[in-house]
Amino acid sequence: MRGRAFKAAAAAVMGAALSIAPAGAQIGVGDVETATEELERAAENAAAQNTVDPWEGFNRRSFHVYLFLDETILVPAAKAYRAVTPKKGRKGIRNFLDNAQSPVVLVNDILQGEFKRAGDTLGRFVINSTIGFGGFADPAGRMGIPKHTEDFGQTLAVWGVPSGPFLMLPIFGPTTLRDGVGLGVDVAIDPLFHVETQAANRARYSRFVATAVSRREPLIEPLDDIQEKSLDYYASLRSFYLQARKREIANGRTSYEDLPDIGEYEEFDGLE
Amino acid sequence: MDKTRLNVPRRIVLAAALFAAALLAVPASADQAAEAFVASILDEANLVFQNPDKEARKESIEDLVDKYVDMRRVGLFALGQYARVITDEQKAAYLPLFRKYATTIYHDLLEDYSGQRLAVTGSIDRTARDIIVNSQAVDARPGDPLAGVVIHWRVYRDREGRQAIVDAGADGVWLAIEQQSQFKSVIANNGGGTTGIDALIAELRKQTGG
Repeated sequence: MRGRAFKAAAAAVMGAALSIAPAGAQIGVGDVETATEELERAAENAAAQNTVDPWEGFNRRSFHVYLFLDETILVPAAKAYRAVTPKKGRKGIRNFLDNAQSPVVLVNDILQGEFKRAGDTLGRFVINSTIGFGGFADPAGRMGIPKHTEDFGQTLAVWGVPSGPFLMLPIFGPTTLRDGVGLGVDVAIDPLFHVETQAANRARYSRFVATAVSRREPLIEPLDDIQEKSLDYYASLRSFYLQARKREIANGRTSYEDLPDIGEYEEFDGLE
Repeated sequence: MDKTRLNVPRRIVLAAALFAAALLAVPASADQAAEAFVASILDEANLVFQNPDKEARKESIEDLVDKYVDMRRVGLFALGQYARVITDEQKAAYLPLFRKYATTIYHDLLEDYSGQRLAVTGSIDRTARDIIVNSQAVDARPGDPLAGVVIHWRVYRDREGRQAIVDAGADGVWLAIEQQSQFKSVIANNGGGTTGIDALIAELRKQTGG
């Protein structure tokens, strides 16, 4: 199951990164600048403490809440969802939710100066929203325009903002200070966020719930497996998240430069 | 026979071979020897993946891991800075438990590929002795979530030129790094130092059922 688990870890990252936040998060675009400055200061502090997880105490308490909600609400919902829908239908729903997220991805593509990818996102949105039945099908993918995701946390990373301390949030799961702020900004970027009618409200909350369930469903077994096999589930998820997120920010390019040395224990060879 | 005298020409040959390899490797930062090493392991693994008997498959995969993965090095790496404080006694208890634990994890990673074939797709040398070899499932069923996943193998070449696997990963997520994160956390949260290492050993014993 580990291969799938890896894939799952990567998917979980995308899930956390995408704006699955409800309308509740009240972050205005004007606050972003101050937030960025604060972020940089916090990140410096974290670096000074020489650890990725200076807030471990808070994070672990928050992880208990996350696990409780996951086990009592999200997983049963995901299992029910799996029981009543065919596989193809779930794929369609995933496509639809991803397509609805396209405006946010597009803005972040542009903010990152990735204009070719911005073109991909726009093209996919137009094609899939029309001949893709509102986004349920993915004809753009079959035409050779691959799906990708972006979020404001990644944009901040591209702009050189350090990740800051690791952050475990109830409901949202693993993230970092930078990416948590990004999550809020992505909510503000979303056009639907600015429509204030009852219908829009309902749409927002339905989408939040649907996205959470749809993303959790394929992860039922992989996350179970990781939990069962780990000595410290929290530390395990933290590592999977931080590793997969790094690659996500690099748009899928794997960096081998920052890997820790494994050969540094050479001196032990001489001991025996 | 005199050991030192035997060693001298071997070292020269090895140095010459490495020098030649370095010259050959100019255009791409790839490492033929490491790629060949992983390719031969995957040849063996691919045979194992075809075996329909799950139990037999498990045993064969464990044999492969035993033969090609340098568990001692990985186990010490997984301890992070605590590798410098672990006592000999603790090491004697820890290393076999780690081997058991990590072998299960490797088995789980590879078991997903039963019925498929993995092939080497290229390599990147971080240093002359630290090489990453990439592989991917060939002829994966369309729509299989594993189809696009790159499985990385980290090959370490010791001073004698012997090669061994020291880490495996998928799409930029590495096993030993995740294990180190867990182990350091267990040790630190149980008093650190040798006390923490005792707690880690107890946890590993519980997890591996041995």
